Amino acid sequence: MPLFKTSTEWYEQSSLLLQARPTTARITSKYTVLKPIPSKIAKREKYAAKRETKSNTAPNTGSPPPTSSNLQDPSEPSVTFTLKTFDPVSGVCLQYQTTKAAEVGRLVGSLGRLGRHMAALPEAMEDVTTSVDKPGEAVSTPIVEKDKPLGGAAPEAKAAGGGGKKKKKGKK
Amino acid sequence: MAGEHVSNDEFFTQLANLFEYNRKKGHGTVYLTQKRVTADDGADAPSSAKVADDPLWDTHPENPLPIVIRANNNKSTKRKGTDREDIPKIKMSTVVQPDQLDAFYARYAEVCKAGMSALKKRDKKKKKKDKKKKKGGEAETKG
Repeated sequence: MPLFKTSTEWYEQSSLLLQARPTTARITSKYTVLKPIPSKIAKREKYAAKRETKSNTAPNTGSPPPTSSNLQDPSEPSVTFTLKTFDPVSGVCLQYQTTKAAEVGRLVGSLGRLGRHMAALPEAMEDVTTSVDKPGEAVSTPIVEKDKPLGGAAPEAKAAGGGGKKKKKGKK
Repeated sequence: MAGEHVSNDEFFTQLANLFEYNRKKGHGTVYLTQKRVTADDGADAPSSAKVADDPLWDTHPENPLPIVIRANNNKSTKRKGTDREDIPKIKMSTVVQPDQLDAFYARYAEVCKAGMSALKKRDKKKKKKDKKKKKGGEAETKG
């Protein structure tokens, strides 16, 4: 059950999975707001206090300044947005999680592109990607595109994928 | 999976309500799921014949298929000692036809962006402050 570090990686893998198993795979996005329980608040306060004393006692390290402004309010809810592509037949589950509001638009855009795989539509004009000028994504999308329109690509992926894919996922 | 599919327009209004509800409560989860519509609607009945001779029929159907989008929250039950209330599970679903997919997702993105307001915003002020602090810190150490 790999949790990917970048949304691009998640998108690529999900798109491969959807090409291999378009009928059974599904994408679930979870938006969750959690109020911290009292013990969690206590923990956060403790951590903040610990950090403060540390930075006060050892300021001579120089470059990393105390980032107390970055510390969150202990009673602040933790909010996450999780994307999960799951295929119940092969048991593959690909995940990506973010806490940034700025990413939502792009992620829903990639949900839309993955939706095109589900609907068995040809790849959309990729140059109108909703993505902001991210060099990594600009490079990676054409690769996915190349794989896509070939009829042969999908069966291959499945033939090898059934067992192999899962193993690969497990290692990560 | 029981329950009627609502129209796309209605789905968006309901989804916006769901997000709004979640925001007011300040706690909770919204699930969104998307999946290809499976062939039990009768429209795609002939494709089942293909399953026999081609196990990979689903990777290249002749016609684009609609996809179903579901949204729901979690049920919650009242519990003493907490501020938990009895909340029924709210769920809704809609079917998006392939030709409306792009338009649907454009609106979907808008609704999601508006709804997921509790996520971290980009904070430019903070960054600037940090930079200043860094500079200040360096100056101090030098002096």
